[in-house]
Amino acid sequence: MTIFQFALKRSFRNKTNLLFLTLFPVGAIFLPASEIWPFLPFGYHYFGVLILFVSIRLASIMLEDRVKGVVKRLAVAPISHLHYLWQNLLAYMVILLFQCALAVGGGVLYGQELYSPFALFCLFVTFSLTSLALALAWISLFRNKETSFLVFMSIVVLIALLGGLIMPIEMMPAVFERLAVIFPTYWLSSGMKWVALGGQTTDILLIHGMLLLYTVCFLIIGSIRKIA
Amino acid sequence: MTNVLSTLRFTTLRLIRNWIVLLLLLGIPIVLITFFAIILGDSKTEAGMPYIQESTTLMVLAFQLFGGSIVMSYIHEDFFTERRFRIQSLPFSQTLYAFSISVLGTLFSIFLGGILVFYSFWVFNVEWGNIGWAVFVIALMALLSSIVCLIFTFAVKQFKVAERLSEVYGIGAIVLAGLFFPMPENAFFEFMGSYGNPLTLASAAIFEYQAGNVAEVWLNVSILLGAIIVAFFVMLALGRRRMG
Repeated sequence: MTIFQFALKRSFRNKTNLLFLTLFPVGAIFLPASEIWPFLPFGYHYFGVLILFVSIRLASIMLEDRVKGVVKRLAVAPISHLHYLWQNLLAYMVILLFQCALAVGGGVLYGQELYSPFALFCLFVTFSLTSLALALAWISLFRNKETSFLVFMSIVVLIALLGGLIMPIEMMPAVFERLAVIFPTYWLSSGMKWVALGGQTTDILLIHGMLLLYTVCFLIIGSIRKIA
Repeated sequence: MTNVLSTLRFTTLRLIRNWIVLLLLLGIPIVLITFFAIILGDSKTEAGMPYIQESTTLMVLAFQLFGGSIVMSYIHEDFFTERRFRIQSLPFSQTLYAFSISVLGTLFSIFLGGILVFYSFWVFNVEWGNIGWAVFVIALMALLSSIVCLIFTFAVKQFKVAERLSEVYGIGAIVLAGLFFPMPENAFFEFMGSYGNPLTLASAAIFEYQAGNVAEVWLNVSILLGAIIVAFFVMLALGRRRMG
């Protein structure tokens, strides 16, 4: 578990990361709630976007490894790529899990209206998995950390908009409403709607299932070893 | 002087070929404007202004908040990295060269803002009132953003921190303007959501111009101009200290 430990240490060493990993989730707890839409307080409604940013920042450590030739050295070391991959991902997932717990737990203590905190926590955890896998697939396309982060930032704004996080999906034209299902953010916003308004258990299972399906797809794309 | 003039062409080429800047300051806003125009259609605000007009104006101005990052990165590259030795050995005035980069970078940001204005005007009939005035306000925003970003570059030793500060400036202004979610109601947030925020000052200058409230227009523009002048002298002082 050496890689796991170092991945954790490296994640917290960067000062900007520290801000992303600690201050922002705590800040999210205290954001106000809206009267009509979104159903959840703003901090929780946009928490998915924060998860996406945190994931890319964490995963870009692996991009750094590739650029600096660490992956090349690991290839000759007596450790498999699978070990390197899962230990890194596990470390990032532990951090994200902690963040989700902090935000939801903090919200409950602060007295935010979260309807069903446990269901919301589960949704955020599943979305964290998807977002981490997406970040992994994303960084496999780039060789420059800054470029990958900047382009990802714009993509996040777009998928947040098209997935119904920035404005209700019902407001969009029929074509966009149908297209929205291809974005993971749509399933997150549907999940949050389910948490707030309630619904059948099968619905939320479908939402989790879809998010996990995305996770598997992105993991497959992202886990191909690239020695650049 | 002529030596610096000969570099203008290359600085322009550098600007035009910077595809990340083009993507972030032109591509993304065009997609967002298009998307909002399709969704919002003809719906109007309570004041009777079309939503698309309000959202497009705010979006174009908000993207100007990040325009300063162009000047910032070029000044950093040319004067604070290994390249500075090459620049210093060239037979021209360093100050003038730095000034030329800053001016061209700001003009490029205004140019991108101008494209957005014309795009929204021609394609979606967004009413800008007087387009010349809108471009003038955009120019003020671009100028302020460039100066503020240069202040960060000169004031902070680590460039990465300066970059993050420039993001805080941009995103902070958008958040304090209450565009993401409503701000708490107290004197500080009220000030930062009105006369203390470049984004609200600039948008008010455009909206009040359309409504014909000359006094309000001049009040907002004067505050913006005042901020630019003050920031300029701060930048000059910090720049002299850092470069000297």
